[in-house]
Amino acid sequence: MSTNRATIYLKAEQNVEVQEPEVCVKDIGSLTCSDPHIQAKARSLRLWQFQEGASKRQVISILRVIEEIEKACPGVSVESLGETDVLIEWISVDRHKGFVQWCKLAFVSLVSFFGTAFTIMAFHNDIGINEVFSKLYEMVMGARGDGYGILELSYSVGLAVGIIVFFNHIGGRRITKDPTPIEVEMRVYEDDVNKALIATADREGKTIDVS
Amino acid sequence: MFLRQLLLSVIGASSGLIVSAGVFTVLISVGLIPRFAGKMHVAKKVFVLEEMVIFGTLIGSFFSVFREWCMVGRMVRTQAVFGAATEGVWNFAGTLFQIVFGLFAGIFVGCLALAIAEMLNTIPIFARRIGFRHGLGIAILSVALGKLTGSVIYFTQRVFL
Repeated sequence: MSTNRATIYLKAEQNVEVQEPEVCVKDIGSLTCSDPHIQAKARSLRLWQFQEGASKRQVISILRVIEEIEKACPGVSVESLGETDVLIEWISVDRHKGFVQWCKLAFVSLVSFFGTAFTIMAFHNDIGINEVFSKLYEMVMGARGDGYGILELSYSVGLAVGIIVFFNHIGGRRITKDPTPIEVEMRVYEDDVNKALIATADREGKTIDVS
Repeated sequence: MFLRQLLLSVIGASSGLIVSAGVFTVLISVGLIPRFAGKMHVAKKVFVLEEMVIFGTLIGSFFSVFREWCMVGRMVRTQAVFGAATEGVWNFAGTLFQIVFGLFAGIFVGCLALAIAEMLNTIPIFARRIGFRHGLGIAILSVALGKLTGSVIYFTQRVFL
């Protein structure tokens, strides 16, 4: 039985969210093996049990995972192709739904809306945009303007076009298939947070590792 | 005349394009919106937030460029939109709007100020230089209280005049 040298290829994710307190190998990434029996056994191997009231976040080293798999399936060699540390978060099922979630979204939306409105107004006030425009008008037309004209209008149109091109969508519709800058920045931020959490757990010795 | 108008419109459109690119590059590079979304766990709805950023900027831009056309309060008062009760209704609505606008704009600017400070790594570098390990929470609280005090002094002492 233990003489076959099957190889398990394991690709772990950097950050996984689980809904059950029991964490298995299949929750932290994907794995493949030429022997379907070993693959099934390794997939359902238990790694960690979250306790109610204790920390809902746990970092586990891939070395520990390999150790567990080798203990459960003797004679199997494990190749890790993914991350070296995995951040597991236990989330309760209803946390991402409901009224509270809607309120949070409304709050962040209001902050974004009024915040950016204020920022652009402060910016225009800072540079004295009306004075700049009236001087520009005088330079070009040779006479003082009265009220608002083509310059203000085209500036506003240009600003709108610039924003839409920059963010790559308007009214819920994408212009091209590319991700928008905030989506890109969101992933970068998540990556940074994961790295920081893993490093912190490592430093505090809370990572589950081979002893 | 037509050519001059054309020149003005070209100048206006180009400045608008470049200003929006500049303003948003700053906004994106400080990574404020992703942080809001991450903190509030609404990352799936980041699209809505982007829409809010877009419309917020457009509204703000319109109101500050076409200042004279946007005197909503004056218009409502002179037209007496709500009849005899206009004064009372509008005072209430205006105050409510001031509270909402002030609160949310304040939150945004507070986050922006600290995010810019953080982007330049001031806090980590300073903490490392003076070699402090604990009490970062107190330092942040002091920064917030300092900002609050500064803001109150600014408005009450009329530093801006």
